[in-house]
Amino acid sequence: MAETAGRAAGAGRAIAGVALAGALLALGACGREAPAPGPGPRAAPVTVWAHAGQEAERRALEAQAARYNASGPVRPVRLSFLPEGGYNAQVQAAALAGDLPCLLELDGPYLAHYVWQGRLRPLDGLLPAALREDLLPSVLAQGRYRGRLYGVGTFDSGLGLYGRRSLLDVAGAELPEGPGEAWPVERFEALLERLAEADPDGAVLDLGLQLRGEWYTYAFAPALHSAGGGLLAPGPDGRLRAHGVLDGPASVAALERIQGWIRRGRVDPNLDEAAFASGRVALAWGGHWDWPRYREAWGEDLVLLPLPDFGQGSRTGQGSWVWTVTASCPHPEAAAAFLRFLLRPEEILAMTAANAAVPARRSAVARSPLYGPGGPLRLFAEQLAGGRAVPRPRTAAYPVVTAAFQEAFAAVRDGLDVAAALRRAAEAIDRELAEGGYGAEAAGT
Amino acid sequence: MRRRAPLAGALLWAFALVYLAPVAFMVVGSLKPDALVLREAGSLAAFWPEGASLQNFRDVLRRVDFPRYLLNSLIVTGATVALGLVVNGLAGYALARLRWRGRRAALALVLALLVIPFEAIAVPLFYLVSLLGWRDTYTVQVLPFVANAFAVYLFYSFFLDLPRELEEAARVDGAGVLRTFWSVVLPNARPVLATVAVTTFLFQWGSFLWPLLVTTSEAVRPLPVALAVFQTLPPRQWGDILAFGVMMVAPVVLLYLLFQPAFLRGARLAGPKG
Amino acid sequence: MGRRPPAPDPFPEEARAGRWLTAPALLGLALFVLLPFLGAVAFSLTDLRLGSPRGPSFVGLEQYRRLLEDPAFLAALRNNLLFALGVVPLQTGLALLLALGLRRRFPGRAPLRTLLFLPVVFPMALVAVMWTVLYAPGPRGAVNALLETASLGLWEPRDFLHDPAWALPAVMLTSIWQGVGFQMVVLLAGLQAIPRELYEAARVDGAGPWRQFLHVTLPGLRNPLLFVVLVTAILAFRVFDQIQIMTQGGPGHATTTLMYEAVRAAFVRQQLAQGAALSVVFFLLVLGLTWLQRRLLRQRAVLA
Repeated sequence: MAETAGRAAGAGRAIAGVALAGALLALGACGREAPAPGPGPRAAPVTVWAHAGQEAERRALEAQAARYNASGPVRPVRLSFLPEGGYNAQVQAAALAGDLPCLLELDGPYLAHYVWQGRLRPLDGLLPAALREDLLPSVLAQGRYRGRLYGVGTFDSGLGLYGRRSLLDVAGAELPEGPGEAWPVERFEALLERLAEADPDGAVLDLGLQLRGEWYTYAFAPALHSAGGGLLAPGPDGRLRAHGVLDGPASVAALERIQGWIRRGRVDPNLDEAAFASGRVALAWGGHWDWPRYREAWGEDLVLLPLPDFGQGSRTGQGSWVWTVTASCPHPEAAAAFLRFLLRPEEILAMTAANAAVPARRSAVARSPLYGPGGPLRLFAEQLAGGRAVPRPRTAAYPVVTAAFQEAFAAVRDGLDVAAALRRAAEAIDRELAEGGYGAEAAGT
Repeated sequence: MRRRAPLAGALLWAFALVYLAPVAFMVVGSLKPDALVLREAGSLAAFWPEGASLQNFRDVLRRVDFPRYLLNSLIVTGATVALGLVVNGLAGYALARLRWRGRRAALALVLALLVIPFEAIAVPLFYLVSLLGWRDTYTVQVLPFVANAFAVYLFYSFFLDLPRELEEAARVDGAGVLRTFWSVVLPNARPVLATVAVTTFLFQWGSFLWPLLVTTSEAVRPLPVALAVFQTLPPRQWGDILAFGVMMVAPVVLLYLLFQPAFLRGARLAGPKG
Repeated sequence: MGRRPPAPDPFPEEARAGRWLTAPALLGLALFVLLPFLGAVAFSLTDLRLGSPRGPSFVGLEQYRRLLEDPAFLAALRNNLLFALGVVPLQTGLALLLALGLRRRFPGRAPLRTLLFLPVVFPMALVAVMWTVLYAPGPRGAVNALLETASLGLWEPRDFLHDPAWALPAVMLTSIWQGVGFQMVVLLAGLQAIPRELYEAARVDGAGPWRQFLHVTLPGLRNPLLFVVLVTAILAFRVFDQIQIMTQGGPGHATTTLMYEAVRAAFVRQQLAQGAALSVVFFLLVLGLTWLQRRLLRQRAVLA
């Protein structure tokens, strides 16, 4: 009797246990967005991942997705935002699990890495020739790898020096009219000192030190090129390498200058990200995405200037987010349809109105109030067109390259020995290029 | 030493004031306009809610899906605690009280695994769950932590020390193993249940490294990861960030104040016996 | 074959229950602890990378050899040791002082104990964010301002989290702040377990408060003290959250730790195998500390 009671209790437990397990697995399935099967009125959506950048940019993309879905496509899109910091790590982890979306936004220089992994599908057949011919050369160059087009961005980027005209006038600075007239770095440093005299805390320049991440590579690698150095260059055997370039005297000199500005207290730590907008500093190293905020703060007093010339001419960065279609996407044509929508000139203009980036199509540039003739940001377009913009290295090993440079720049920021930091970075990069199994990729495009 | 000692009390209260100043800073800062948070941090104005409003809290709710993160943390933590109590409790009991072949081997395994800290296996575990396709779910945040060597050990030691008379009486009356456990042992196991529940809860609620590695989407993102992401989301507004912190810790503090004896007992019991 | 047949199980119902009841826990532990651990050891002997289309190949102890030459690894090891050497005595000492104080009766004792334990329930990620704000550079940063006031203007404002000398102590202070409440409670329980008679006897023998502390309190606290000391030391090796949020291992390698390096190696440099090797080294260190703890505790338990 007791035996049966015990067994009944045991059975009850077992049922409860199974129910619990089932509930948990159901919850687990809840956590994942499970796609509905098959095409039809509720066709499986096209999954889209994008980076969570400036708020205006995010909202613009959300609006675009809504507009596209409202136009009744065969498959709607479902948009997810991933945090910008660690974006690549997130994508890597998802790739490992086979979890990638259909349409994936990537930071331009990382494209080569994912092509090498075999994760991306070429876009050549999915975009009409007329569209491709209308794209800016820099956009095409960024998206091409191994001779095929794998990614297209709806905008390219601009990097420059924002300034306050009134403060610069007081300091007696002559403002350069174009990238060819950029201040030589010695004159720039003298200007910093003059500005500091009138400034309560002596910090007159914002370098975005608090941003870390890809910003360091994007913003400061051009200074290396401007001094005659760089990140990577082909060695005697034709393969890319960092030794002699990244840790060469020109690169070291450039970063030592920047370190000098920080050490003398000319650079604002900018913990609240409002140094320029709130008027604490007169100059800010910034990108196109800063324009809306700075414009709102300073109106006509805002000027956009080229970065200082470290010896070989002013150089700036280029490259931005690109859209790619993944190899695992079951409906690439539907993904490409959304991409073609995003690449319509009016959609490009909608996005660049929100983030002030350089429109990716010539037809859009012409119509842009910011970049068209007489537009306030045409410096960015000029830099891209005039060969002053230096792309980041196009190699499948880019994730390691940028991580090494970021670590070196952090050391520079913190006052450590520049030559040693760059040497360590160059060694780490070269070792990776040799051992990573990149083969021909190590030779670049 | 039970004499009254007002001096010690006064000193301790003075210390507590300084010690808890960061908490006050966070709460007051969450009520201030963003621009003032850093600017006033260096003075006593940091503790004075000039211009106090709930604007930052509204901003957080507008900028991110905070209720979702809270729900995720509750689901993940709740499931881990509930399942953990069952799985580890039953195992601890079986190891302590029942006689079966392989018991010694099982006990040895549990004791051996006690020394493996989670961080040592985080990376390969990540690889494993990625291959299994479990990424970005609740399951992946819960399942690896349900079976816990430390919890089994706590239950095991506790049940070992429990006097046997009640169980023996029940067995004589003809109750089976599970019935004995349910009606006789469990009611006396409150201290260890509280300890394990509290320690598991605190661990899971604050878990950061693991969910950072295995979650991507906001749908399953728990609070600590959400805070770290929010802290880097442009524009970085510290008033909002502190408000996020307040909202994130408020439920736990509430639970703590309500169930304080359990928390403190749990901490005591987790220590060595006498 | 000469082997005895296994003896019949004397308590079949118990045996069945025993196996079923432990099965889920054992399965979970085997799958989620043992298997990854063996995986870590196995991976550490290869050159496995994250996302490489090329499969891994066996390289023996190469990863470990690389670690020994890697300044980041050596720095991480040093930092973990410094962390333990700094946090353990400071946190334990403070906890002991607080526990001693809380043993006496005074108005507001119970709420005070509640309040002092409060930071323990704060997730470390939140504590790290809070203290990042407090450590803001410049005279307006909270900690800088406090030190300036306390030193009557002698203090120069510093950027704690980016200063090679101050970054690690700053992170240590954050950890102590969060953890001292837990130790305080354990030590308080230990103190309350010391029989009053021992103090009476000591007083009768003419011992003053200091000698009572040395000869009654400390010996009576031996087990709890050893426990908190060794647990804190082990936790000092597991530090990750604060580093990730506050300093990212910088400046240079001034605050990197074993776990932080392991995660960076695996996810930033994509070298899963090296991350695994770091995890194994980490495990060996913790094993050593745990073995030490078990030996010392067991010794005392026998004598107690």
